[in-house]
Amino acid sequence: MSTHARERGMGLWFAILFVILLAVVLGSISIGSTGTISSAQVCKGLAHACGWGTGLADPRTEIIVELRAWRALTAAGIGAALALSGGLIQGLFRNGLASPSLHGVSGGAALGAALAIAVIGGYGILDRGFSPSALFVPLCSFIGALATVSLVAFLATSGGRTSVPTLLLVGIAVNMCVAGAFAAIQSLTLKDYEVSRAIMAWTFGTLEDRSSHHAAIVWAAVAIGAATIPFVATELDLFRGGESDAAALGVRTSRVKIVTLVIAALTASAAVAVAGQIAFVGLAVPHLVRLIVGTSHRRLLPMCVVAGALFLLGADLAQRALFGFALQPGVLMSLFGGPLFVILLVRHRREVSAW
Amino acid sequence: MVKLLEARALAHTYRDGPRAVDGIDFSLAQHELVVVIGPNGSGKSTLLKLLAGLIQVSTGSVHLQARPLEQWSDRERARQIAVVPQFLPALPDLLVSDFVLGGRYAHLKRWHQASAHDHAVVRDALARCDASDVACRSMHEISGGQRQRVLFARALAQEADILLVDEPTNSLDPEHQVRVFALIAELVRAGRAAFVVTHDLNLASQFATRICLLSAGRVVADGPVASVLRREVLEPVYGEHLYYGRFDDGRGGGSPFVLPWLQR
Repeated sequence: MSTHARERGMGLWFAILFVILLAVVLGSISIGSTGTISSAQVCKGLAHACGWGTGLADPRTEIIVELRAWRALTAAGIGAALALSGGLIQGLFRNGLASPSLHGVSGGAALGAALAIAVIGGYGILDRGFSPSALFVPLCSFIGALATVSLVAFLATSGGRTSVPTLLLVGIAVNMCVAGAFAAIQSLTLKDYEVSRAIMAWTFGTLEDRSSHHAAIVWAAVAIGAATIPFVATELDLFRGGESDAAALGVRTSRVKIVTLVIAALTASAAVAVAGQIAFVGLAVPHLVRLIVGTSHRRLLPMCVVAGALFLLGADLAQRALFGFALQPGVLMSLFGGPLFVILLVRHRREVSAW
Repeated sequence: MVKLLEARALAHTYRDGPRAVDGIDFSLAQHELVVVIGPNGSGKSTLLKLLAGLIQVSTGSVHLQARPLEQWSDRERARQIAVVPQFLPALPDLLVSDFVLGGRYAHLKRWHQASAHDHAVVRDALARCDASDVACRSMHEISGGQRQRVLFARALAQEADILLVDEPTNSLDPEHQVRVFALIAELVRAGRAAFVVTHDLNLASQFATRICLLSAGRVVADGPVASVLRREVLEPVYGEHLYYGRFDDGRGGGSPFVLPWLQR
């Protein structure tokens, strides 16, 4: 199949996933702990929220529709952000076992956010109404993520070559340090009920009480990330033959590395700041997408955005629809994430033993 | 002859390492096929990387078409110099045609959409390297010889005047070794210039327009084949375990050959 044909095929997949995503968003709004709302009512309520139509007869239902809509949008944005971050990191490190949580991006983001929560004395962006502190948690989270992933990349690279075993081991070591600092913050804030509860609830990766601020922060990061895809996708494809090979073909390798790391840190940290650490999405979605559209980053990265949104929201909807209860997505994803990592390791065993 | 690439007093020391290149003057002109030989660790690969702009020049200078190499942007440089690596540290999971399209990167317009012209160049490059039959196969499925031809095709798709080739015949059977050098020679006749690092003195003898012998980071000899492939020149560098001969061309002359041979 030629490149042209596969790019057309990708358009079709993109459309299919997008339609499914819309259906899942509607489903997420209609199903919830406060009762099921018919899809006709959901559409009517959403239209009214956007300024069209007369709205619903019952103002209470309308409020539920709005709350659930923000929750669904936030969840979709988190999925998109984590999947894009994972796709970028796997591309940059040329390794399918790489992920935001493995390379300290999520850990660093969590540490930054926990520090911010401790300083503010609560989870700032929970407050209704915009305040400067609403941006403080995401900002600290971004700084934490960028710092750790840069440290990991720097420590694992010598003479311009990033060795995979070193990378994984350095990732583990840095994650340990970050976890230690995180535990220290938790233990120091233990007496302050408000702060320690905020940190604890947020660590599980929660989607409850998400508002327009959360959705705005995470989707802004996704938008910035998606806008940079054209500047790094072809380059990351050329990185697969090694950095030196890419340089010989005319790629400005240092710029690509910096842009990719910054965007991966930005998207993952926005997700972490809004909903806590959620593993698995950043690792799994790029793998699933590769099965559909192949390995070229020009197709992989845009598809990660749509598929990641669909994946997290779909998993959340599925557990609520099938089992009638809602584990926090962070908990749910960790339950699946460990086994998936083992499966990937076994599948890549030959490659792994060659390191 | 127009000098495409010229190095003066070039030196390079790796961090915590020995001086790999120690004051080299070197030039490459159109229609030249320069084969660079020398023992392991004599600085051949480092010289190649310096000429390719893959290692920053710290001592001495490299000029590409009379302009300092570091003043060329990565993309501009890649339109002039193509590197054919010995192997890739990781083989990308790509179709051969998509891999070769990577050679067009430096020519792509903004947003990097490959045009019909780019695809035509790729097809032509694959055809010239006798690799059209594997265009739709995966890079993982093809043999070592085919992979070497595909690497050349990608360099050809770069449409650069200068080819820097690192040990192209390693891991190839004799038939493919000859074919690879014949391909390089054909490209050079068509107007390119080639810099080929190899250990194979006999392929050098048959195909080189000039041989450059390196030892301990310095140029020991640089000139026509017959002036370099001689016992007086090679023995101080390679030691005594070489057998020197001459192909009989039926007229009392012919190219020299040199074989590794344990003298008893």
